[in-house]
Amino acid sequence: MTTAVGTAGPRRLSVDAKLRIAIGILTLVGIGIGTYLTYTHYAGLHVLCLSSGGCETVQHSRWSKLDGIPVATLGLAGYIGIFISVWIRGELGRAIGFGLALVGFLFSMYLTYREAFTIHAYCQWCLGSAAVMTLLAILTTVRMLRTDSAEPVAPKKTVDRAERRRQMAARR
Amino acid sequence: MASRTKQKEEARARRLAEEQARAERTRRDRRIRTVGGIVLGAIVVVVVLILINSGGKKGGIQTGAEQNATVAAVNQMFAGIPQSGATLGNPKAPVTMTYYGDYQCPVCQAFTLQGGFPQLVSNEVRQGKVKVTYKSFCTATCNGPNPNIFPTQQVAGLAAGKQNRFWQYTELFYREQGQEDTGYVNEAYLTALARQTTGLNLTTWQADRNDTSLTNQVNADQQAAKNTGVSGTPTLIFQGPKGQAAPSAAVPTYAQLQQAIKQVS
Repeated sequence: MTTAVGTAGPRRLSVDAKLRIAIGILTLVGIGIGTYLTYTHYAGLHVLCLSSGGCETVQHSRWSKLDGIPVATLGLAGYIGIFISVWIRGELGRAIGFGLALVGFLFSMYLTYREAFTIHAYCQWCLGSAAVMTLLAILTTVRMLRTDSAEPVAPKKTVDRAERRRQMAARR
Repeated sequence: MASRTKQKEEARARRLAEEQARAERTRRDRRIRTVGGIVLGAIVVVVVLILINSGGKKGGIQTGAEQNATVAAVNQMFAGIPQSGATLGNPKAPVTMTYYGDYQCPVCQAFTLQGGFPQLVSNEVRQGKVKVTYKSFCTATCNGPNPNIFPTQQVAGLAAGKQNRFWQYTELFYREQGQEDTGYVNEAYLTALARQTTGLNLTTWQADRNDTSLTNQVNADQQAAKNTGVSGTPTLIFQGPKGQAAPSAAVPTYAQLQQAIKQVS
């Protein structure tokens, strides 16, 4: 992780580093949910659910798949993508993370709408994943919009030159 | 001399500040363009995903070879198994599974076609160990655009039951179930299913649909569901010599059905 350059004392994490850690932790939670739901789907197991049958009702609905692929598996792929983006330095990494989290967030909102108004059942795992995706969308947006990014802009040569002249003048 | 140097330094600092401000503006503009592009791209991707997700299997009345295959599969499934009204199987079977369902319910469709139901019919019901009684409970239909169609659609099945073809009609309904919330159930749809029900006398079926006792039966089923505490469909209740059991899963597997049978046998 990137650390801010301090003049003295303990090395403190920059805001961007903190954001990357938070995003990394949230994606790991999302990967856990996605892996569990994908595994239970393909292994034909029953999903542990707090409400009576809500998760299975949602999982067996026609909205739970996208062209034959379980949406949980797509979510898992999205979380892995965001996790990888955290390790990509610079604008590209921030842009990939932001884009994936935004797609995940908007699609999660659509699926939650389906749960509430079409399927009339809720799956805690899906709601949990939607909450994680919402937090990721917020954090990646903040990271994307922050101008004081972790990667400092390289100082221009003129600055160095001016500093040198100032030092020379001071010596005189 | 010192003052000229100071002036130069100040000018340089101003220039530097202007350059930095310009660079900052450029960077901000570029970022806004990038963010805008990503947001637009994300919206396009999500719209495509939603279109794929909501435009899947439409269902509905089948035609041609597809319909012939479905009818053949349904006939084979129930061939040789006794039926009486909404009850399937040996009337003296020691275990009864009461199936609370709604013809428009997609989860009922999942249980009937992909859950443990087909294997239950092929094994325990065919062997005379279990009989299945269907009861109507309005869920998906009542949440849809035309809740008033519920008694009409359920009576259509019960009218087929008067000719001992309730289960063929019900199975066909689930196999050709339309897209939820589209109001696909109408006279043409119900009659098309009746035409596909092998051996069903259409004139008699139409006449039986006006039998008020069948509407009363649907109402009685709904009341029984409420009295039993049924809140969704499918709800399966097994009754046998050792009491009662109800699998908790929304779409029970064959193994879960067998476990429930074991509990009450």
